[in-house]
Amino acid sequence: MKNLFRELIHYLDVTAHVIKMAVMTVIEYPSNIAGWLISNPLQFIMGFAIIKFVVESFGQINGWTYGQLAFLYGLSVISHALSMIFFVQGWFMGYYVIEGEFDRYLTRPLGVLYQFFFTNINIFGVTDLIPGILVFLYGCVKCGVSVNLTFLVQVMITLIGATLIRGGIYILLGSTSFYTRSAVDFGQYTQEIMDKTTMYPLSMYPESIQFILTYLIPVGWISFYPAASMLGTEGVRSGLTVSLVTLGVGIAVILIAGAFFNRGLKQYESAGN
Amino acid sequence: MKKYLYVIKTQIIKSMTYEFNVYGNIIMQTIIMITSAYFWRALYKGQGMVGDVDAESMLTYVVLSSVLSVLLITNVERRIEKSVEKGTVATDLMKPINLFGVYFAEDIGAVIALVFQNMLPILIIGSLMIRVPVMADVHDLPLFLISVIESFLINWLIAALFGMIAFTAVNIDALIQVKKHLLRLLSGSIIPVWFFPAGVARVLESLPFVYIYQLPLSIYIGRGTRAEHLRQMGIQSIWLVILAAAFLIAQKKAAGKVMVQGG
Repeated sequence: MKNLFRELIHYLDVTAHVIKMAVMTVIEYPSNIAGWLISNPLQFIMGFAIIKFVVESFGQINGWTYGQLAFLYGLSVISHALSMIFFVQGWFMGYYVIEGEFDRYLTRPLGVLYQFFFTNINIFGVTDLIPGILVFLYGCVKCGVSVNLTFLVQVMITLIGATLIRGGIYILLGSTSFYTRSAVDFGQYTQEIMDKTTMYPLSMYPESIQFILTYLIPVGWISFYPAASMLGTEGVRSGLTVSLVTLGVGIAVILIAGAFFNRGLKQYESAGN
Repeated sequence: MKKYLYVIKTQIIKSMTYEFNVYGNIIMQTIIMITSAYFWRALYKGQGMVGDVDAESMLTYVVLSSVLSVLLITNVERRIEKSVEKGTVATDLMKPINLFGVYFAEDIGAVIALVFQNMLPILIIGSLMIRVPVMADVHDLPLFLISVIESFLINWLIAALFGMIAFTAVNIDALIQVKKHLLRLLSGSIIPVWFFPAGVARVLESLPFVYIYQLPLSIYIGRGTRAEHLRQMGIQSIWLVILAAAFLIAQKKAAGKVMVQGG
């Protein structure tokens, strides 16, 4: 027990150092920061403006009004940003496998999965976080959400769960590189598919797709079910139930992904011969 | 000319070697195409014509936009960035062949390979799962083809101009992303500009982006009269000339700058 505690303290200590280092690397290239500061918010603010235009032309999407869509979109972008900060490495796992970069992690006395994700914390993810929060707040105001303790707890639990679901999916997809030995860049496509399935109401898809996105690839829990529950649309249960399910799904996905990663790592043979 | 044909040939062979990437791309693009089809179906539920277009034409638009997006993949900006970063640009410039001619030939080669690897499969999948994209008026076919060629050139020139920023800035990853998002949102590739507020739409119609996706696609689905299409193709041609001129000027300047950097 005492050992476990000491180990945990050690990991936290390393994490603090790593975050400090990440901030320092970012500050080193100011021109790059400027680029990402423009690029990331632009993407979401424009994406959101376009939803506004379309929804105003048509009135609603599948019964969801513009304000409700802003709420859904904001929730989705915030969890996207959090997953970008902690789990974006999953997108590039293929390169690490091909280039033999895991050698470095294997020689250190810390968990490989922990090192892989946390020594590469992506501070730039904050540039996604800001537009996400803005759109979410806008959605809350538009829908007249009453902010009370339950709501805040719901949002927090949902965001943790949603981030874990996204991160788990990145790890799962990235870990396929251990088996295929190819450096497919999943990032761009994963993001586009995630955007399409988490930023619009899931109920607009036919039932077969809804089933897949609820039970097999549980992206429905990232934003759709929690948002529906908090806003009281689509007849989804209100209260903490849905948020807790999201958290549960998130933990399950990340555990499966971790196991898959560790299994893949055994197949890892480094680069060269 | 023969030199460039050789580059095209090598690029085609190069593109053919990465099989797994091809299947991955097809699957991903199919998913994206189908989800956008459901997006439009949900919007059009219980509505007839919105923005002078009915649900059927919009689905044709979605399928064709996915098909067209395969043709409009450029690599020139990353190619420039890489060769500046690694310094190979200096030796590339010494070769008795125009640097940008090579980049253009490479992109042509990649696109030829993609026509068979991605475009045809996506067209077939789209026809089976969403809707057979029938042209509204077959007589517009020549117009459509010309506008597609022009849109390909405009798209490539914009990419090349962006890529040239790398000669001075070296790292343009973030800029490439900015360009990508701007292009996707302002060209009507996902959502046609005619759904935007009138003022915004008018501004966008004076920029070159809508002439990359939206013009060929509106000709295809028959939105607007032929006179309108011809007028818009006129604007498209003007943009092509402007961008080509900008490209030629920038090319001269950029080449000079690289020489200086090399010492």
